[in-house]
Amino acid sequence: MAHEQLILTAALVAYALAALISVIDARRGKGEQSMALVIMTLALALHTVAITLRWQRLDHAPYVDLFEILSSNVWSLHVAVLLACLALPYLRPALATALPILQVLVVWLFVTEAVDHPAPVTYQTIWLPVHVSFGKLFLGCLIIAVMLGAVVAVRRFDRRAFAAMPNSQRLDDVAYQFVLLAFLFESLMLVAGALWAQDAWGRYWAWDPLETWAFLTWLAAAGYLHFRALQKPSPQLSALLVFGVFAIAFLTFFGVPFLSTAPHKGAI
Amino acid sequence: MRARIWPTLSWLGSLKATLVWLALTALVLAHSIANGEPVSVIIALPFAGLGLNLLLTLVVNRHLRSQSGLLLFHLGLALIAVLAALGRLLALSGHVEVTEGAAFEPALVVAEQGPLHPGHLDRVSFVQGSFRIHYDPGVKRRDTVSTVFLLDGADGWQPAEVGDDRPLVVGGYRFYTSFNKGFAPLLTYRDASGGVQQGAVHLPSFPLKSYEQGNHWTLPDQSAEVKLWLDIEDAVVDENTAWTFRTPDATELVVIAGDERTALQPGDSMALGRGRLSYDGLKTWMGYSIYYDPTRRWLLAAAAMAALGLFWHIVGKLRLARILRPAGRQGVYSHGS
Repeated sequence: MAHEQLILTAALVAYALAALISVIDARRGKGEQSMALVIMTLALALHTVAITLRWQRLDHAPYVDLFEILSSNVWSLHVAVLLACLALPYLRPALATALPILQVLVVWLFVTEAVDHPAPVTYQTIWLPVHVSFGKLFLGCLIIAVMLGAVVAVRRFDRRAFAAMPNSQRLDDVAYQFVLLAFLFESLMLVAGALWAQDAWGRYWAWDPLETWAFLTWLAAAGYLHFRALQKPSPQLSALLVFGVFAIAFLTFFGVPFLSTAPHKGAI
Repeated sequence: MRARIWPTLSWLGSLKATLVWLALTALVLAHSIANGEPVSVIIALPFAGLGLNLLLTLVVNRHLRSQSGLLLFHLGLALIAVLAALGRLLALSGHVEVTEGAAFEPALVVAEQGPLHPGHLDRVSFVQGSFRIHYDPGVKRRDTVSTVFLLDGADGWQPAEVGDDRPLVVGGYRFYTSFNKGFAPLLTYRDASGGVQQGAVHLPSFPLKSYEQGNHWTLPDQSAEVKLWLDIEDAVVDENTAWTFRTPDATELVVIAGDERTALQPGDSMALGRGRLSYDGLKTWMGYSIYYDPTRRWLLAAAAMAALGLFWHIVGKLRLARILRPAGRQGVYSHGS
């Protein structure tokens, strides 16, 4: 367990360093962000080892308690950002917007005590990993939309910022495509979650706090998509709406589950 | 007339109206979140609004009708709403306690049910057997395996295992074991006229209420009300190590009638009220959650249909070329272009 913690701490320090370097490079106008990407990859490798060791020791995937959910989401969100930057190199300068946002979770994870909790019996179903995976895909797509929205927002105040990236209209268009994907994954997450709930507790939906918030997130994303179809908003307004959807999703994923010891009522 | 109705219908089926109903739905949810209350039935109102909006959109919006994926998604959502409403009308959600060795009694079920619930619980029949529950250190409940016996016309009583995640499904009713279970002293009362009645008194949930193993009980002939207290002499619960739920080896049943306390061992009896009470031994009881919702399979099909429609639509809508090379000429941008 001491090894796990040590490796995780090293990973968290590396995440923070990558965020710092990405901001410095962005201010210097270095769009490639090569150093930040290398350090982030190293951080992810260390984090993967820490998660694997804990998974092996406790014999369950990291989705049981506050510490594990934070840890796995810090990991998956960084993976999403990394893959996006590798597949779409024009996104790299925007690392300077995404990584500082993710530091909120990194610091939160750093100060959270790692307590060992067994997985409740109701977690032994295939639908739970399916549900969790769709949730991570949803957040992963949304963080990329936020990353692009942040570039648009920064340009509102500094017209020369992120000069190496495409224009704001184009970035907004790409952000919209990622919100579309996010909406699909959020919908699939709700369906898989309902199947898990049916399997575990005999009901598809019971409006527990997390279910209510998750539905609110879905409504917010649906609202954004309908509003966009109706109004054709400016990139700045569109970015603000994406931030709004992300804020609700953030509260759903990282606010509500941690009011109790378990994300749903399963841990009896 | 038509000239006046059509604009109204067009507005009610418009995207603007969709946004209004989405916002109202969000408001109802936000209100319940802010007040820490369960989502009220008022949610049915914006849902009905969204349903009406969708129906009218199908009539007035050719654009939606022409996009198969989007159409399938929205029809799937409408179907989910209809089935969920129907499910609430037909559903039952309740709980019951069943004594070891005794048959399930529908009359003891505490439940909430929809006005159209068919009420077939009396067709459910099983006998409670023993159960096994493992605990991790720190009294953390793990697997529960409860054995029940079902009457099979051909082969007599057949055992079946029920758990927290493994339901017993009889007549559409799904029984799951719950955290609730405990001990039940088996008592026989012989009244003055020679009538004999045997039954079990369920004590509070164990180990949740291990220090409150008592209950009030009125004799079958109403001649006295007593307090029963189970004195457990050996340590059943071990908070620091893993353990398995079991009936204690050494117990005494203390019967408190007024100022008089009488301790009974299994097999003992005492004069009480207008008759005689015997303590036959200690049994257990198991708590079950019960659910009935005949629409759940259809709900699954509707959700799959909606998801498929959304997938179809989004795959068609995604512009990979725009994502991969959004500017054509990278490095050139102009605000608000």
